[in-house]
Amino acid sequence: MAKRPKKSEFGRFNASLERFAVLRSRAFAFFLDWAAWGYISYAVMYFLNQYWYTWYVDWYGTLVLPAWGWPIVVLATLELAILMHAFGHGIGMSLFGTKLVTTDADYPTRKQRWRRFLWMHASLVMLPLTLLRTGQDGALLHDRRSETRMRAWKDVKDVLPARKPRAWIRTQSGIMTLVLIGVTFWLGWEITEIDLGMLFSRAGMSARIWKDLVNPDFVHFFQPDPMLEQSIVQGLIESIFIALLATLMGGIIAFPLSFLGARNIMGFSPLGWFVYAIMRAFFNIFRSIESILWAVIFAVWVGFGPFAGVLALTLHTFAALGKLFSEQVEGIDPGPLEAIASTGGRRVDVVLFGVIPQIVPSYLAFSLYRWDINIRMATVIALVGGGGIGRVLFYYKNQVGFLSNAWNQVGAVVVAIVAVIWLLDYISGRVREKII
Amino acid sequence: MKDKYYAGFMRDMPAWMQNFRHLRKPLFAFLVDFLSLIYTWTIVSFIYNTYAHGVASYTTLPWWLMLIVTVEAAALWENFGVSVGMKLLGIRIATADGKRPSMLACVVRFLVWHVSGLPLVGYILTKKGLAWHDLASSLGVVSHEDVETRRLPWYRQSWSLAVAFVLLATVIAAFLVTRVDWHALITNAGRTANIWKAFLSPDWSLLGDGFRLLLVTVFMAFMATAFGVVVAVPLSFLAARNLTQGVVGRTVYITVRTVTSVIRSIEPIIWAIIFVVWVRVGAFPGVMALLVHSIADLIKLYSERLESIDPGPVEAIRATGGTKLQVILYGIIPQIINPYLSFTLYRWDINVRMATIIGLVGGGGIGQRLMQYTRVWQWSQASMMMLLIMLVVWVMDYSSSRLRARLM
Repeated sequence: MAKRPKKSEFGRFNASLERFAVLRSRAFAFFLDWAAWGYISYAVMYFLNQYWYTWYVDWYGTLVLPAWGWPIVVLATLELAILMHAFGHGIGMSLFGTKLVTTDADYPTRKQRWRRFLWMHASLVMLPLTLLRTGQDGALLHDRRSETRMRAWKDVKDVLPARKPRAWIRTQSGIMTLVLIGVTFWLGWEITEIDLGMLFSRAGMSARIWKDLVNPDFVHFFQPDPMLEQSIVQGLIESIFIALLATLMGGIIAFPLSFLGARNIMGFSPLGWFVYAIMRAFFNIFRSIESILWAVIFAVWVGFGPFAGVLALTLHTFAALGKLFSEQVEGIDPGPLEAIASTGGRRVDVVLFGVIPQIVPSYLAFSLYRWDINIRMATVIALVGGGGIGRVLFYYKNQVGFLSNAWNQVGAVVVAIVAVIWLLDYISGRVREKII
Repeated sequence: MKDKYYAGFMRDMPAWMQNFRHLRKPLFAFLVDFLSLIYTWTIVSFIYNTYAHGVASYTTLPWWLMLIVTVEAAALWENFGVSVGMKLLGIRIATADGKRPSMLACVVRFLVWHVSGLPLVGYILTKKGLAWHDLASSLGVVSHEDVETRRLPWYRQSWSLAVAFVLLATVIAAFLVTRVDWHALITNAGRTANIWKAFLSPDWSLLGDGFRLLLVTVFMAFMATAFGVVVAVPLSFLAARNLTQGVVGRTVYITVRTVTSVIRSIEPIIWAIIFVVWVRVGAFPGVMALLVHSIADLIKLYSERLESIDPGPVEAIRATGGTKLQVILYGIIPQIINPYLSFTLYRWDINVRMATIIGLVGGGGIGQRLMQYTRVWQWSQASMMMLLIMLVVWVMDYSSSRLRARLM
């Protein structure tokens, strides 16, 4: 048994917190293994449905897990994860770089591994008690009972007796990784209904489209389409201005608010922390909904048209730039700030003369980057009523079957989009190089 | 390393070609001024027409008159002040000893420019890199560092005033083009009341169904990224400037770069439209659309990384007699493996986002269902789907940024 180390200088409470920090990654590693087995069992269920049940048992039926099946699956996967943990390297252990060794720094014997496996059940059953009774070196009940320890691989690498290394494919985690990758690809292939045969069997059909697409028809390039009352050029101008206005307004709103979302500016008082948390949550929520989904809502709000697109892109731009900006503010050099504060500058002075000069170049660079994204988005936001060149594109796409040259006109719109995006990408790339 | 250009390469060029070396900057400055004036003219006439006649028209004068006016204005601007183009390229017009030109010399230069600069003759038949209008007025184009310049505030310099004016006009035009209507934004807010209410009470009975669709979406992104990597990694070597030398290599480089940048400029949604027609509605066209776009995007990201590798290890292996394969295996791959993984994760993150919206055009997954609900205004069902999308995007975003921070 390892000797009890000295009492932590942080006192009893903090010392136990330290131990829990070690345990957290162990728990996480264990959960990864458990989740891996859960994933495999889901895949098995899916394959049963896909290949056997629906074909041989009941055409329309779906094999679902009965209520009593759930505990069985949960317990079985748990058992498998425990087995992996006790007998070698689980995926989680490999990922965190931990190794199971005995207390006298050797490889555990088979008997020790069995002991560990059995005691682990006891540990898990009385989990709170196990955690409370954690040893000073982070040893849990099953660690102590089997006289084994989890150690970082880099710590025990030189201590462990030399042993011929196995090829990674023959290790437990290697096999498990291969199985997971294989299952994932198989499952993905089935779920997304990939059917390469269809690509070829319908190639003749697509050849007609491609032939029309590469023979673009520019009749309505300058001349507005009488039905649509818009030409391609007008659509492009609309798209460019949508992106411009969205970037401008989003950037202008994000600029002051980014300070409220920066930890080093706000983290001085409880109120500041509160505002910081609110701002960050706000940025994250609005950022995780794509602008095209916002356009759905704004199209209802202000009606179909470019203004809905502007609002949708503005909202998303504001959230995305707000997050990027506030991360920039958090990453600034504190030197100038302290200099200004120590010479008696107020908080406003610190922001005006210490923070802003440091962040302006990266703000501009991020805004340009966002402008690139917005111009791409502005070409398709019309799909849900956002206006711009996409309106022309989807109009002609929907005329397939009614207009003989519908795909040719779609081709013309696509050519125009490519040209504009190419040009603007090039310009903004050059400008960004100059700024940074 | 042997220099490709021997000393005196430029001197041995034909005289007329050498002149272009001197005159490239003035010509380019003129072009910039000319185009910016045309742009200003168009924007201003658009604003004027919209306000005065209520018509969205970009012209007020016949095109030939507009051409004459802008060319003359650009020439005047360049001869009598510092234009935007000149500021951009850092050039000034000055006397031979670097002084500010006199008004008379400027007038002479402006007038002679019409017979020499405008038909481009004077630019070609020159003496010591000086065009006819330079010779006639004994002025020249010099770098702005070589002349004494007055420090003026921005509102007293023509170029910055012009930039400010153009920006202002652009913003006004943008408001007009996109038909910004703040009034509607405020008065119609009630129309969305149902949507916000639905967000507070999503239809939880769709949770299981939604998760199943979410799984389809995530797997669409996964398959597209995984197969995209398989294709993009070998192709990225053909798209790196430093690895493709010689005539064949350069041709391959240019071809791959051009094709990928064309493919990349087309949004995955547009690709999905094509693939939906090709292989019918479902998750498969979504995967194909994401795959095509991912390949092009990954090739660009990967090859840019390849272009910035440290040439040291490569040369060391080549110097010890390593074959081309060994150079790649031991000199290049160790340098790029982590950035490649990081880019792949980044792309996987984008693909998950894209997969959620690609369903809008029939690309399968949760997006397709969301679109069905929004079409018929079933907001509480739609909000359930949106919540799930938010969840997966947030999880992907967080985990991939954590992983990427580790890789970097």
